[in-house]
Amino acid sequence: MFLQQLLNSIAIGSVYALTSMGATLIYGILGILDIANAGAYVLGAYLGLLFYSLTGNIIISFAAAMATTGLLGILIQKYVYRPLLSQPAYIPLIASIGIFIFIENVIRLIAGPTIKQFTVKLPFSNLDYANLHINNVWVLIFIVALILMFLLWYLLKMTKIGLAWRATSQDLDIAKTMGINTNKVISLNFFLGYSFAASAGILIGILYNSIYPTMGSVVSYKMLAIIVLGGLGNPFGTVIAALLIGFIETMVGAYIGFFIPRNAIAFVALVIILLISPKGLFTQKSRI
Amino acid sequence: MKRSFISLFLLVILLFAMSSLVMAQDVVKLGFFAPVTGPAAADGESALNSAKLAVEVINEEGGIDGREVQLVEYDDHLDSKQSVSIAQKLTTRDNVVAVVSGSYSGTTRPAATIYQNAKVPMISAYAIHPDIPKTGDYIFQQSFPGPVQGRVGGYMAVDDLGAQKIAILYVDNDFGSTLNDNFQEYVKEKGAEVVYVDSFAIGEREFNPVLTKIKGLNPDLIYVVAYAGEGAAIMRQSVDVGIEAQILGTEGMDSTTQFLQVAGEAAEGLIITTNLNRDSEEEQVIDYINRYTEKYGFAPDMVGASTYDAFMLLAHVMRQVGPDSEAIKDAMYEVEDYMTNTGLLYRYTEVGEAIKPVQVQVVKDGEFHYYDQITDMDIIAP
Amino acid sequence: MYAIVVMINVGIFVLLALSLNIITGYAGQPNIGQGAFFGIGAYTGAVLTGKFGIYFWLAMPFAAIITGFIGFFLGLISIRIKEDFLAIVTIALNFIVAAVFQNVEFFGAAMGLSVPPPNWFGESLSYQGYLTIIIILIILVVIFSKWIEKSWLGMALGAIRNNEMAADSLGIDTKKFKIMAFVIGTSIAGLTGVVYAHYMTFIMASDFGFLTSVTILSMVILGGNNTIRGPIIGAVILGLIPEVFRFISDYRLLVYAGILILMIRFQPSGLLGDDSFVWNKLKLLKASLGRRRGA
Repeated sequence: MFLQQLLNSIAIGSVYALTSMGATLIYGILGILDIANAGAYVLGAYLGLLFYSLTGNIIISFAAAMATTGLLGILIQKYVYRPLLSQPAYIPLIASIGIFIFIENVIRLIAGPTIKQFTVKLPFSNLDYANLHINNVWVLIFIVALILMFLLWYLLKMTKIGLAWRATSQDLDIAKTMGINTNKVISLNFFLGYSFAASAGILIGILYNSIYPTMGSVVSYKMLAIIVLGGLGNPFGTVIAALLIGFIETMVGAYIGFFIPRNAIAFVALVIILLISPKGLFTQKSRI
Repeated sequence: MKRSFISLFLLVILLFAMSSLVMAQDVVKLGFFAPVTGPAAADGESALNSAKLAVEVINEEGGIDGREVQLVEYDDHLDSKQSVSIAQKLTTRDNVVAVVSGSYSGTTRPAATIYQNAKVPMISAYAIHPDIPKTGDYIFQQSFPGPVQGRVGGYMAVDDLGAQKIAILYVDNDFGSTLNDNFQEYVKEKGAEVVYVDSFAIGEREFNPVLTKIKGLNPDLIYVVAYAGEGAAIMRQSVDVGIEAQILGTEGMDSTTQFLQVAGEAAEGLIITTNLNRDSEEEQVIDYINRYTEKYGFAPDMVGASTYDAFMLLAHVMRQVGPDSEAIKDAMYEVEDYMTNTGLLYRYTEVGEAIKPVQVQVVKDGEFHYYDQITDMDIIAP
Repeated sequence: MYAIVVMINVGIFVLLALSLNIITGYAGQPNIGQGAFFGIGAYTGAVLTGKFGIYFWLAMPFAAIITGFIGFFLGLISIRIKEDFLAIVTIALNFIVAAVFQNVEFFGAAMGLSVPPPNWFGESLSYQGYLTIIIILIILVVIFSKWIEKSWLGMALGAIRNNEMAADSLGIDTKKFKIMAFVIGTSIAGLTGVVYAHYMTFIMASDFGFLTSVTILSMVILGGNNTIRGPIIGAVILGLIPEVFRFISDYRLLVYAGILILMIRFQPSGLLGDDSFVWNKLKLLKASLGRRRGA
């Protein structure tokens, strides 16, 4: 049974990693805690369902939803966040909370508050080997997560714009004086960050066969806990932190039972780790 | 002289006409509040839909002695500060004669105090916290209280389904914990063993770890106290994990659109305790289900049916004693064997708890169907 | 009667916003978990009067002190963890505190806690009574805040707020003053909590969650951080939105979020903040009036 629980935890961890990736990228470049990313998560799920019901093709729906949400990200950073960069950090945070609530309510008003199904037939079925069970959507999540992570890695380490990105995240002003088109880099960053969140939303929607306007509420603060743990701005650290949280939540649930709500576990871990290492597990030095 | 007489005469006629117009506009106002926005928006919307339908039907039937019933509805956003403020507004500004709560227990409870103090009768449609009716003699519950449902669950588990080893998963709010407590009390008394208990927060979707663990314990039955979202996830994942034990649920999962559709085939065989019997042969139930579906495009659920019944009960009482708050309150205690869409209301206890049979439904071929109806007074009397 | 209830609701938010202003305004420490301290005060007060039968008027200051004591620990944490990390820790603590109230039997767990009405010369306290208490508290807190602004504490906090490292190097005991800010701010929130609990007669963990904390913070920022008038006006505006916009209650949250975004985007110093459009205009108005009188 331990092996099964281990598989459970990897599945949960991968989802967390994908969900939190957007927020960590955004923090890495602008130093903003973007709760609106959870709004992108919800929006992505709804757009995914919309496109899927229109086209019947899950890959097109994925791409379309991710692109649309990514574009929204570009708009948000251009018109809301960039003008606020000179303010103390909690100002854009409040703006992001406002945006999150706004997105949630627009969705509720347009699509209704009830849970909608998101049934997708995958080309492969569940894996049942020995005593172990792996849900086919988990496999999909894992595959998508790997692909997206690889794309991100390639972009950051192997391309010119990736270099510009890393420079900008180290120091925005110096990068600007070096002639880097920081606006372009920031836009790309937000586009990817929001589209990642959208992909996570779609995957979760398919996994649980339900999308609903409040599906982002737990995500909104849990992803903050994860990116802080992983060292804000560090995608690699975020993946580790996400897997770690997934592991702790699963194992505590399986072997100790929930003496506190499962979602509080991430926070308890967060407070403890921050007290030991006030800037997160993986600090600025190992950023991107 | 003649001219002034005629004008006086006309004036009197005019006054008569105007006063009758004023009297015709004399409406009977009923207050209502539900969490139409916020985390419980789905239930709030369901309740509001039914409230509107109920008032429509009441007026079609002639209103109350010819007077039109007007619904004064508010959204409490599942915030108790709001429900308190709404209660003040309804009792001091809006002059309602009675109120129906379409909201959860957390918001209904503080509001109940205000209605009690203002001597305005309030019926809680589906909030089943046992302390609500105890607030005072003006406060009633439309459905059987939580402890009753928990006991019936226990009865079904042990006496009907013969389970000896039981695992329990419940949502960690007052709904879940009330049902869990009473369920456990009953089954333990009957000698069954509770092998595992765990709770989860509203909105939880990930149950694989805990279900994997439960599978290892091999219980005969799993008692699940959850709402539609979590319930659907539990059903789907228990199939995934390979659990074969019978699952027993509650009215929280009583929803066609939100639960059955999302859970799909995984819900097959589920038994729940609730108050709406889809297979009922009572004409009024069939009428209600059809009419609701026609008007709103989807089938009504427990929340909707309970809200609808609360209004119909008020109308029934008002037609007997008139739209006066105190008279309504007194008459409620006199109600005997009144048929509602959610079962026969035997009567109210002296604290305003409803004594009604509990419906037990089973999911067969993707729909809720009749399984059993518990009328044993020992179990259903609060 | 309805008007009194609305004023009580707004008054409670005014007190909470003023309490947060001391931490996030004067001391510049981001705190998105003030709801937790509101809750700690509420539950402590409810337990003291409900389970131990202590006189409400005694329970009030006592609960405030206990809340401040816990705030002390947050202050300690703030020494080690800073800025946005601190913000996240406050969110985490808010969540953990709410989870404790939701799950521990002593606090009523999921069933919530019933709170007995306070005694005022033999009778239960009326709504007018509550409103009076709240108004008195608001006046006291405003006077206290004004005093802080002019005192050593206020100046030290201002220095910390502007640049903590610089303040440190100037020899200011940033640790001590930060802790003081947290203790004061959280105690006031706790005090408000006790009044709230008795006014509502029933409290649940969900009353004190993340959304509440965000609301309080929004009020401070909307009105103008680091001022006294700011939190008051912010609380009044955001507190009245549910009432004023009840006719479009479906869109209420949308409106609220929209106002928040617009305000933050175009006037981050708040509606009546020191540098805001409105405040500058008001200052000009005051100046021109003064000139006319003088001439």
